[in-house]
Amino acid sequence: MKAQNLRKIIVLFFLLLISTDSPLFSQERFRKTPPIPEPLPTLELPEIHYRSLPNGFQIGMIQQESHPIISLNVIIFSGESSSPQELPGLAALTANSLIRGAAEMSSSQIEERIDYMGGKFSMSIHPDFTLLSFTFLEEYLDRALYLVSRMLIQPILLKREIDTVRTNLYYNLFNKRDDPDFIAERQLLRLLFKDHIYERSVYNDDVLKFLTQDDITSFFNTHYRPNNAEIVLAGNLDFDAIERKVRRFFGTWPRKEIKHPTAPPPEPFNSTKVCFIETPGAKDATIHLGNVIVPPAHADIFPPMVLNQVLGGTPNSRLFMNLRESKGYAYDASSEIEFYKDCSVFSIHARVRPEVVESSIQEILKEIESITNEKIPGLEIEQAKSHLIGNFPLQIETFDNLTSKLAEIKAFNLGDEHWERYYENIQLITSEKLFELAGKTLLSTPAIVIVGDQDIVLHQFGTFIKEVDIYNKKGIYLGTYKFE
Amino acid sequence: MNKDHRLKEKFIILCLALLFLGSILSIKAQDKKDFPFPVTPYILEENGLHVILSEDQSLPVVSVVVAYDVGSINEPPGKTGLAYLMEKLMFQGSENVNRMQHMSLINKVGGEFNATTTEDKTIFFQRVPSNQLAQVLWLESDRMRSLQISASNVEQAKQALIEELNRMKESEPYLRSFWRFDQLLYSSFAYSHPVAGDEEDVKNLTVQDVTDFYRTYYVPNNAVLTIVGKIDREKTLEDVKKYFETIPEGKETPLLPFASSPVKETIVESIEAPFAQSPGFLFGYRLPSPSSDDFYPLSIIEYILLEGNTSRIRKRLLKRERTAIQLSGGIEVRKELAVLKLFVLNNNTLMAQRSKKAIFSELHKLKTNYVPDEELKKFKNMFKRNYISKYTSSQARALFFSETFITRKILLNPSEELEKFLAVTPFDIVRVSHKYFTASSIILDIKTK
Repeated sequence: MKAQNLRKIIVLFFLLLISTDSPLFSQERFRKTPPIPEPLPTLELPEIHYRSLPNGFQIGMIQQESHPIISLNVIIFSGESSSPQELPGLAALTANSLIRGAAEMSSSQIEERIDYMGGKFSMSIHPDFTLLSFTFLEEYLDRALYLVSRMLIQPILLKREIDTVRTNLYYNLFNKRDDPDFIAERQLLRLLFKDHIYERSVYNDDVLKFLTQDDITSFFNTHYRPNNAEIVLAGNLDFDAIERKVRRFFGTWPRKEIKHPTAPPPEPFNSTKVCFIETPGAKDATIHLGNVIVPPAHADIFPPMVLNQVLGGTPNSRLFMNLRESKGYAYDASSEIEFYKDCSVFSIHARVRPEVVESSIQEILKEIESITNEKIPGLEIEQAKSHLIGNFPLQIETFDNLTSKLAEIKAFNLGDEHWERYYENIQLITSEKLFELAGKTLLSTPAIVIVGDQDIVLHQFGTFIKEVDIYNKKGIYLGTYKFE
Repeated sequence: MNKDHRLKEKFIILCLALLFLGSILSIKAQDKKDFPFPVTPYILEENGLHVILSEDQSLPVVSVVVAYDVGSINEPPGKTGLAYLMEKLMFQGSENVNRMQHMSLINKVGGEFNATTTEDKTIFFQRVPSNQLAQVLWLESDRMRSLQISASNVEQAKQALIEELNRMKESEPYLRSFWRFDQLLYSSFAYSHPVAGDEEDVKNLTVQDVTDFYRTYYVPNNAVLTIVGKIDREKTLEDVKKYFETIPEGKETPLLPFASSPVKETIVESIEAPFAQSPGFLFGYRLPSPSSDDFYPLSIIEYILLEGNTSRIRKRLLKRERTAIQLSGGIEVRKELAVLKLFVLNNNTLMAQRSKKAIFSELHKLKTNYVPDEELKKFKNMFKRNYISKYTSSQARALFFSETFITRKILLNPSEELEKFLAVTPFDIVRVSHKYFTASSIILDIKTK
């Protein structure tokens, strides 16, 4: 009896010792819950200083001290939608040809010069604009300005070089011909942009062969004008010196009035349409669905951004949690908003097991129903807003990201307010406001594209999906299946 | 070589520890050197955790990296895949953090996270708005002190790893060729086995294996915490101490197995890649340790031969002679071992032979002719630009310090280091080419069916 008591005491003593003294077993209280964040820091956006030349060429400059690399960007306010209707791909072929010869320089000489400056050069072609980006060591500013000015003012568009560019562009498209996401994304855009000028940006590899040297010259002469362009430089800059240099190299660039194609924004789908594209033997099925919403310059763009976050912006969002974590249908499920000048596209993507395509689509539509017809809990909205606000400065941390954001602001006419009032506009969104606007997005009547193995995918339809339009990978309509 | 390395490491730690005694809170090591931005290294006396803080006030963003000096090299035979498995487990929860919480917390605040495991390091990266720094320290410290290693967590991570391994095997027809080439090039098991591990090994890993590995390597004295961004240095240091100081120090990590002796003769082997479309070959040389002075000219040679479309080998094989359809490669470093590696694909075996001949001829040219000044300047400029990009943005800088600290155990001054690369002369290039591009090349011919 006594011995037992003693043992108890010893055990108790050790327990006491463990719980108070040993750092291994004791738990500091602050570890139990995540710390409370400090208040949101104020965001001072990089200031952009503007100058302009008499020929209409705008100069934007951003000071970034202790940055020995300069980033030079030229935005041309014409993109693939400016290609003539019968010549899609012309904007891309023209832009990519500019690096293949200018003034006294051949394509390999240009390549050598870019490397010599420690340079990296790229061209990206959007439906609404074209962006030339060039970063280089700061000591080569003059050489860089000279090179870019020659490309934009005095390009040498030789047939042989154009053919090389054409072949490269062809293989870029050709190599992606079996990528299910690429196929589905393009088909969705073809449906949403049908008969709109944006449709020209989803051209096929075979149209490139029709473009001639004359077409390129004519596109260049029309659109590559100082009054249709803006140069943005970032780095350790002396603004007056920059203005002088830009004037020296670009001052003789002749202006010419240009007319941008205007068209009413694409109409959103107001009844659901299902399309199927066959990729024989595909292990997964890929679903892309979406609809057209308001353009980024519209005041009502902010609520959909919050909705997107709730629905599928991150792996914590509803689509991922439902389709992957809860149902086990999908490997991945997410949503996004792509911006254009005339509209935005709200789309949802999922890669699912092929035998559960119909159920997956039903679940996706259910999630859309629930964000449009039910009030979203306040906490979820606050989390979505917190993500958007917190993520904003992260998006502009590197030069590349900052300048492409700037290009969008300019090309989509977002105005300076977009920067300054971004936080405020997101903060102001309430559950009621979302509820009011969610129905207007018409997400519940989307265009739906499915890419996968026909034998597995199609025979499961009939309960909910009654009719499917069949297309090939290039977007050619092949026929319609009706399910009894 | 390895012992030296360990000694050097101990010496540095000793120096840092001595310096530490001089101040109450922490030490400030690099006063004289001229860094292109503010940076201060610290070491926590209680457990040996290295901390590097660097301020960048341009945007309210902060990058936090925790790097552990562990990779597949530290895996014993029969236990491959452990390091990569650990990376996955580090997101599966710890004493106070639930399974999905790491991801959801970072997402909620608009942040980003990432992790990588290589042969010689494991890196956890997050970028968040600067007011959320404490959250990240809370998350990182919890998984460093109390990772949840349960049978179900381990099983799940093993499944995910095996799935990934199978996907890799399906999508990369040259995978077995790469693995075989590494065996030839690095000779020893520790340095050459793949990070993803062997399927059978992974299946057999036990909770005990994982626990032992975690307790050995994922300890403060085997890690460096780097924080770069809009921070207040004193306040940040206080937070770091709060979250990390009481994590117990681990035992000294075991010595690495010796890297095998240098290759003395040409090795040529061939392998069949049954699902590949094009034949080709892998070509390589053993190089000196990355801490050797010869490494500076060799890094410039890498650019002369392979960087960008105007580099000698790329231009000759892809543009001028068109004997190759695809070419990639460069210098690869695993701890104290460095190699030069080239992977070339050709239309047929005759083209492969011609490509090899051209590569040898380019190497010969490096030994017999000085690289012209203008050409050398071009490649140095390209090198300079890429090197500067490694530390200009705060996220790049956080990675730069973590990686260089894990491999070299010093706070590397990037501008001083860059100067050494830029000081390379045409003579240096001839000299090191003679020394390393000898008859001891290693070639693996890849045949298709």
